[in-house]
Formats: sequence, structure tokens, C-alpha cells
Amino acid sequence: MSDTTKLSHTAALILQTVDHGCSYGFDIMDETGLPSGTVYPALRRMEKEGLISSQWEAEKKALAEQRPARKYYRVTRAGAQVLEQAQKRYPLLGKLSQKSRR
Amino acid sequence: MPDEPKLPWVVSLSQMLVRGAAPLVPVEQREDWLREWHAEIWHRWQFLFHTGGWNQREKLLLFRNALGAFADAAWLMASQDSVRSRISGIARSPFTCLAAFALILSMIASLSSGLQATREMLFRQMPNKAGKLTFIWLHHPLGGGDRGLPADVVPAWEQGSKLLNGVAGMEVRHDQVSWNGRVLPDDPLVIAASPSLFKVLGVKADAGQFPAEAGVVLDHRAWTALTHRKAGVVGTDVKIGRHAYRVSAILPASFEFLSRQPTIYVIEKLTYERKAFVVARVKPDVSDQKLRKELSRIASEVTAYFNLQNQMRFSTWREALLSPLVSFVPATLLAAIFACFTLRTSFKQMKRAFEPENRRVAARRTFFFIAKTGLALACVFVGCLEWSRSESSVLLASRDPGSGPFLLWLYVLGTMGVVFWSVADQRARCRVCMRLMAFPVRIGSPGCLLLDWSGTELFCSEGHGLLHVPTMTPSWDEDADRWISLDDSWKGLFLHDK
Repeated sequence: MSDTTKLSHTAALILQTVDHGCSYGFDIMDETGLPSGTVYPALRRMEKEGLISSQWEAEKKALAEQRPARKYYRVTRAGAQVLEQAQKRYPLLGKLSQKSRR
Repeated sequence: MPDEPKLPWVVSLSQMLVRGAAPLVPVEQREDWLREWHAEIWHRWQFLFHTGGWNQREKLLLFRNALGAFADAAWLMASQDSVRSRISGIARSPFTCLAAFALILSMIASLSSGLQATREMLFRQMPNKAGKLTFIWLHHPLGGGDRGLPADVVPAWEQGSKLLNGVAGMEVRHDQVSWNGRVLPDDPLVIAASPSLFKVLGVKADAGQFPAEAGVVLDHRAWTALTHRKAGVVGTDVKIGRHAYRVSAILPASFEFLSRQPTIYVIEKLTYERKAFVVARVKPDVSDQKLRKELSRIASEVTAYFNLQNQMRFSTWREALLSPLVSFVPATLLAAIFACFTLRTSFKQMKRAFEPENRRVAARRTFFFIAKTGLALACVFVGCLEWSRSESSVLLASRDPGSGPFLLWLYVLGTMGVVFWSVADQRARCRVCMRLMAFPVRIGSPGCLLLDWSGTELFCSEGHGLLHVPTMTPSWDEDADRWISLDDSWKGLFLHDK
């Protein structure tokens, strides 16, 4: 999968945002400035392609804090490889990544 | 939590929107999907509320993001295999092809105020004695392009011709027009014309009097747009470009000459260096040949430095209106002849499909081919006509009044494209149900012609047959496409959700 998957600029930006620790849909929207109608379908597609995985947080913890549990996303190993390729293909994305890590 | 706030209406509304979008999500994912969206909306609101950022802007943003649930749900729905196969089935259907062209036609109609130029071409009533009105202009036999005549031929024809009842020259341009500081948008059409123009056209002024030597005449649309129908405009100054002109008359609402848009007529003497398109009123029973001979003789006497003999074009009002049709018919014939030569193999293959082993199928295929080609040609005809003649329907028409042959080129290219596409599309359809063939397996290389392929096998998605297109077509067997009908024993392979 990681050898063949080519991401659009937007999808690569979303994947990079998840990689930087934004695990929830609305956080990704805040970080990227993209609307929900773009972010969520991109997350679904990347999950289907195995670039990210999703998981529900522990129900017990959420109940104890009297709030609904959230679903969070994480970049998979295949996703990390694809992201690396995307950063090479889109140099600006790579620069953005270095800047935000500094 | 003692200070737990009441759920704001924006949050409730957003959650309602999400619930509204939920039916689009496949049942097995729906609960999970709803939980995720509700949790995100709730957390968003809580975070902003407790950090003091819950304001009007954030409320609007939350609502906007909740609308995105529809896009998310639609994506999940469309990514299901059954939905995808149904969508591609609809896209391959022959009815979709016909419906697409019908939709394009209706879009052209809605964008062109109900096919204004086409209606005008077919149904426009002739102005008074219009049959005697003749347009004269230059068209270089080699270089092409419509141009005006040297303007000094106009008075020469007026004085010297015994075959004309009147003649006037016109120079057409677009310019900025303003009155009392109000500027007409989109630089309207300005026609510089000789004083005899309205006499030749046989029209009377609605207000004021036509100038004998110099002045400006507004048509009804220009008068409305520029002055909001102020009767006092006659006698005031209107600014055209950098110069001011006195308004002498307003034309009646029923008068329409070159353009459907607001038009301003600047009446002035056209000097010899100007290039004028000419409109003349010809006496009854004058033949074209006689007229051409006399006008050419007088013109060559006046402008000896121009070889006008072979360049002059004559056209009556009716001919000018119908000129798109005159361009379209030969363009279509040319495309058909060209297609017959270059696509003779494809025609042979199509002919095989029309053979009488199954008359009903053959008739359906023929009907579909004719309907599809007819609709596509209608789109080309109407689309090009409306686009190129958005301003005017008569001789000096087309997008730029003065480039008449432009439409002919549009038609040649358009009809050629339609005929070639139509034949290629017919080849790529099932011989029984006329759906576009699916599951292409490329066994060769792409063809060297547009819309062509070589070395491919395709199946009908309903299991009617297989089309084999060989990698190379041997010269002794140009009719090499093989349609292999599949009997009912294959049906099981093609069962899918209806």
C-alpha cells in the first residue's frame, strides 16, 4: 500500500497533522483550516487505505469525567512511510513539518 | 459539575443536522459515526465555553462544520461497492447519455435567455420591406475575415447607382458611453453611421428628429439603461469615449437592427479613411448579378487603389439571419464525409450490429445512434450560435461584430468532434443493451487516434457479450473487432444488486 499510495496535497497535510499529534477531527480542522466536509472524508479514505487507524478512548475514563468518549486517529507505519514520500514530493509540506517541530 | 451550562441551541441544531445526515451512512457504521460526530460537537462546545472562546463566530463555525457531516456521510455512502456499481451502471446507461445532452441543451437555453439567437434566426419577423435590404462588406478571398469598405464608396453609390433607393455606411465599435455622469456598463455597441441610415432602414423616431448631418440617436434599450427613460434627454450631451455629442432622437422600442444590446448611433459623415459596412435598399426586380456589376464598377472608379471586384460580399437580411444554418449544414456534411473515410472500419462494425438477425435490437441501436448524434449536433449548433451571436443575429454578428467566419470554424470543429465521438461511443457500447462496456482489460497499447484504443477486451456489465479489439488490425481484415455474444450460462457471473 505504502509503495503505491499517492496523496493529494490536502490529504498529505491532514496526515501530517495527525502525525503531529492532532488526534481528533475537530482539532485537525483547527490546525489545517480545512472544513469538516474535507477533513472527515479524507480521514475515512486514509483509514480505509491503512494509513491511519482509529480507536475509541476508554469508556471508563470518559464516564468518570462525565463526557462522551472521543474517537482518535493515529498514523500507522504504512502511513508514516507514505507521509515521508509526500513530504519529499511537496517540499513546502516538509518545511512546514520542520517548522512546527522546532 | 455544578456549573454545567445548558446545551445552547446551536449545539442542538448541529446535532440535529448530524442526525439528519445519518441515514446516508451505511447501517453497520451508523452508530459509530453518530457517536463520533456528537462527541466532537460536544467537546468543541465545552472547550470553547470553558476557555471563554464561545462567541458568535465560533457558533457559526460549529454550525458550518456540522454541515460537513453531510459530505462525510455522502462519502461513506458512495464508497460502498453496491452504490458504486449502481452509480457506474447509471453512468453507462444509454438514457444517461441522452439525458446529459438534454441537460446541456437546457443549460444553454437558460444561459442564453431562452435561446434568443436561435429563436431570432427561426422566427424573427422582417422589418418593413426588409427583403430589399442588402448588406455589403469585404471578405478577402484568400486571407478571409470580414472588413468594411472604404467609406467614400457610400456617397459614390448614393449618387451614381440607378439600382439603389438608398445606401448608408456603418462603422461598428464598442466604447464607453456616459450621460450626466452615469456610465453604461460593459462598453455598449457604438455604430458610427452616415445620416441616411434610418431613411434606408425605413424607421421613424419615437422622440426628437434624426440629425441631418451630425448627432447621436439612442435606441430604446440604450435610452432606458442610460437615462431611465427621461424624455428630456433629447438636446442634451452624451459622452462617447472622450467626445461629447448632442442627442437628437430616440428610436422606437420595436426597432432592432444589428444588436439586441443597448446601441448608440453616432450620425456623422464617414470620411474616406474609415472602413464602413454598408446597408443598401435595392430597387425591386434587380438581380444580384446586375447589382454586383454596377456597384463594383462605381466602387472601382472611386477607390482605384482597391481591388474590390472579388472581395465584395452581398447578403440580404434573410440570408444574413439564416447564415448560421448555411454554415452548419455543410460543416455537418463535411464532418460526415471525413468520418466515412477515416472511420470506415468502425462503420463496418456498426453495420454488422444492425444486421437483421435481431431487428428489434438493430432498430434500437439505430434509434439511439441517431438520437445521440442529433442531440449532440443540436448542442453544438445552438451552443455555438448563442455564444457567437450573443450580441446580434444579422450580418455583422458573432461575438466580435466583424468576424463572421468565426462561427463557421466553430461548426466545423464542433460537428467533426460530435461525429467522431458518436461513432467511437457506439463502438464502445453493448450490442444488445447499449450500455457502455465495462471492465476493460488492456492487452495492447493506446491507439494513435483520439478516442481510439487497440488491444482491449471489454465486457457488458449485464453479461450480454464480450468485445475483443485486437492489438493490430491486419490490412486484410479491417473489420477485426469481435463481438462475442454470451449465452445464459454466463449470467451467474454478472449478477449484481439492482
